[in-house]
Amino acid sequence: MGELTYGLVTGIIFGFLLQKGRVIRYDKQIGALRLKDMTIVKFMFTTVLVAMVGVYLLKDLGVIKLSVKSTILGGNIIGGLIFGMGWGVLGYCPGTQLGALGEGRWDAVWGIIGMLVGAGIFAEFYPTLKNTVLTWGDYGKITIPQILGVNHWIVIVVFVVLGILMFRWFEKKGL
Amino acid sequence: MSDKNENKGWNPYLAGALTGLLLVFSVWFTGKYVGVSTTFVRSAGYIERVFSAEKVARMEYFKKELPKIDWQFLFVIGIFFGSLIASTTSKSFRLQAVPPMWEGRFGPGRAKRAIAAFAGGAVAMFGARLADG
Repeated sequence: MGELTYGLVTGIIFGFLLQKGRVIRYDKQIGALRLKDMTIVKFMFTTVLVAMVGVYLLKDLGVIKLSVKSTILGGNIIGGLIFGMGWGVLGYCPGTQLGALGEGRWDAVWGIIGMLVGAGIFAEFYPTLKNTVLTWGDYGKITIPQILGVNHWIVIVVFVVLGILMFRWFEKKGL
Repeated sequence: MSDKNENKGWNPYLAGALTGLLLVFSVWFTGKYVGVSTTFVRSAGYIERVFSAEKVARMEYFKKELPKIDWQFLFVIGIFFGSLIASTTSKSFRLQAVPPMWEGRFGPGRAKRAIAAFAGGAVAMFGARLADG
């Protein structure tokens, strides 16, 4: 299979699971931001935990390489805040809105067009941002185990335990 | 009855765990870590190129993220079809212009929702790219 076919098949399974998990809809996304419905947090954090264990296992077996993005506090923090404001208004993520369109929630079309425009605007400002915000607090490609100077499995176990405690708390509160 | 069908999804922990496995297999078999927002940049570059090819060719960000159809583009298209398959086979597909929670707070106006969704999308993508997410 070619690379493009793999991409399409992975996307189809991903979209299928997102829809089955009921994490795509506006009401679910905004429900999470309003701290009223934790469905997407349960889904997302479980995904992260499983992928974290699997990816590090394969890395330790020498099968794969990690792909670590740079930590740039200026971009990460300011960009994260801006993203959150837009997300709170739109109610769909970049990926999930394609899924929202797939289950007939066609207001996602406006979000998709908006995102194309947003990407274009970012490209216009990139030369300026690159020399300002994107130089603030640039720590390069670092990971939590590196910073703490401990074995990565210690960090993974802590994350898994914290995740399970969080899930139990959600279930107890009926969120 | 339709409401019952509407809410009968899979357990989010199960669906989330399967998604985690999917991501692991993706990295294992193809070395691809999934992402979405770069595709919006490449696609924006594609569209802008129709109007001003020279300008796009000069722009630094489009040199970094070349406008092209790649693995991630097909991944994003796949999300649409995956959700379409899952929803139409489980009677949870609904043609809907205004989400219920939005309607409860801001009313049924389609134009209002469209403008907010467009603006929200533009702001969200600018932020996502700034954070390199």
